[in-house]
Parts: sequence; structure tokens; C-alpha cells
Amino acid sequence: MRQQAFLEKINPVKDKMYRLALRLLISKEAAEDATQEVIYKLWARKDKLKDYTNVEAFAMTTTKNYCLDELKAKKNNNLRIVHQNYENNSISLQTELEVKDEMLWINQILNELPEQQKIVFQLRDIEQLEFEEIIEITKMKSTAIRVALSRARKKIRESLTNKHNYGITKD
Amino acid sequence: MELQKIRELLEKYDAGETSLAEENALREYFQKNEVPADLKSYGLLFSFSEKNKTQKMQREVELPSQAKGNKYLWTAIAASIIVIVGLFFFQNKPMEMNHSDLGTVQDKEEALQKSMEALKMVSELMNEGKEDLIYLKEFNNTKDKFIKTE
Repeated sequence: MRQQAFLEKINPVKDKMYRLALRLLISKEAAEDATQEVIYKLWARKDKLKDYTNVEAFAMTTTKNYCLDELKAKKNNNLRIVHQNYENNSISLQTELEVKDEMLWINQILNELPEQQKIVFQLRDIEQLEFEEIIEITKMKSTAIRVALSRARKKIRESLTNKHNYGITKD
Repeated sequence: MELQKIRELLEKYDAGETSLAEENALREYFQKNEVPADLKSYGLLFSFSEKNKTQKMQREVELPSQAKGNKYLWTAIAASIIVIVGLFFFQNKPMEMNHSDLGTVQDKEEALQKSMEALKMVSELMNEGKEDLIYLKEFNNTKDKFIKTE
């Protein structure tokens, strides 16, 4: 496969891979590095890539595994991936800020979820993939996926509700 | 869609049982309608996932370039051209000699003298060489002893 053909195949998946990496690694830098690294890996194995009917699923699986390995390696070395995703807080409307605040809050909650739940939530709610595709990517059982998804969704909503009711205390 | 049905779908959603189509219907409903306060958290969750879907990688993906081979190829071509052109010039140089390079003398007198000198030198050297030929006579003498030519 030539570079051009390879890039055409990988480009539509690239951002999905990046978003998954970002969800797991949190740091933008690390996520970009990871995506780049995984694409290198795919490129090195480009001849085998033809055999996979679903290149997207294979690319996503590779990304997932790479990020999990990365996290494990960092944990073993007692290191944490520090993120420096500073948003430029330009002056905007109050409501916009509030929405942004909520979005950051949800991000925060997601960051604290177990890896499996992060992955499943990312693939289902954000990338909106079918369960079959998620099974192929994660190699998890259908029921396990649904359980993880349910837990993630409930946890996020719970935290949101708690945050909003904070100080109101209704018993 | 009526609110009752939405609540049922949301329950399914919480359990991770909704299909993609149902989830899309929910997203659409939350975008278009005001919902009761107790359902606000769903709305936030839906807009969060919508927002995150548009995130893009800023950095361009680079592949180990094939151009690397090409780069050396062009360097090689350039180098060979330089070598060939260089050789061409150096080989042509002796062809473009001037008269002065030959040591030609313009003055006639001087020219005569110079050539005399040169010829003299040649003859001197010739004579010097001829002296050594005396030994060859001895060879002849010996040969005559065996071979009678009369």
C-alpha cells in the first residue's frame, strides 16, 4: 500500500483515535504522541492491514491497547502524565462560561472513572458506535459493556445532580 | 414525543440498553425542548458528548518519509553531474595551449642560437652513447671466428 492510500484510509479514523487517546491519557500532548505512534505502528504493518476488513476497529483497538500500556508503564514508574491543556479563557457571555464550566466538570468526572468505563463511554456516547463495533474494539462481552456504560452514565449524572443541588439540601 | 415516553427511554439509557437510534432521538429531543429540572443532567451529558465529538487532532500526522530515499538519489545525481563536468573541463585544458606555453622565441638570432644549442646537446648525448657501442666490436670479432663470410 502506498503512503497516499494509507493516509486516505487512516485520516477518517485519526481524530477518533486521538479522542480515545485523549480520554485515556488526558494530556493533549500525550494523546497526540500516542496517535502518531499508533499510526506509525499501523504503517509498519500496512501489508497485514489489508486482511482486516474493518481497519477502523483495528486502529481503535491498537490505540486503546497502546494507551493502556502507556498508563501502566507510567504507573509502574510512579509517574503521572501531567496535562497542560490550558484553555484560553477569553471573555465570553456568562451563560457560555457556565456551559463551559459544566463541560469541564463532566470531563473531570470522566477522568476519575475506571479505564474500561472511560473507553466504553467514549466509544458509545461520544463516537456513537454500535455495540458490535465496541465489542470488536474492546474485546469485552456485550453484557460487560452495557454494565460499564450504565455505571459511567449514572456516575456522571449523579455528580452533576449533586453539584447542582449543593447548598440547597433537600431532605 | 411525549415526556412520559422520554422518561422511559432515559431509564433504558441509564441501564445502557438503548439503541443508537433511540439515543439520537433523545439527543434531538433535548436539543429542541425545554425539559423539567430533574432531567437537566441528561441534557448536559448529551451536549457534552456532542461537543466532544468535534474535537480534532491539531498535529499533522507524519509518516516515515519515502522522500528519504529520493533525497539521497538527488544528491547522488548532483554529485555525478559535478564529477562529470569537472572531468570534462580538466581534460580539455591541455588542448587550449598558447604559443608562449611552447617556449617559442620570437627573436631570430636568439632562435638560431637556441636551436644550435639544442642540436649540439643532442649530438653530444648521441656521441656519449656511441662510445658504449665499442663493446659491440668485440662481439663482431668473436662472431667472425666462427662464421666465415667470405
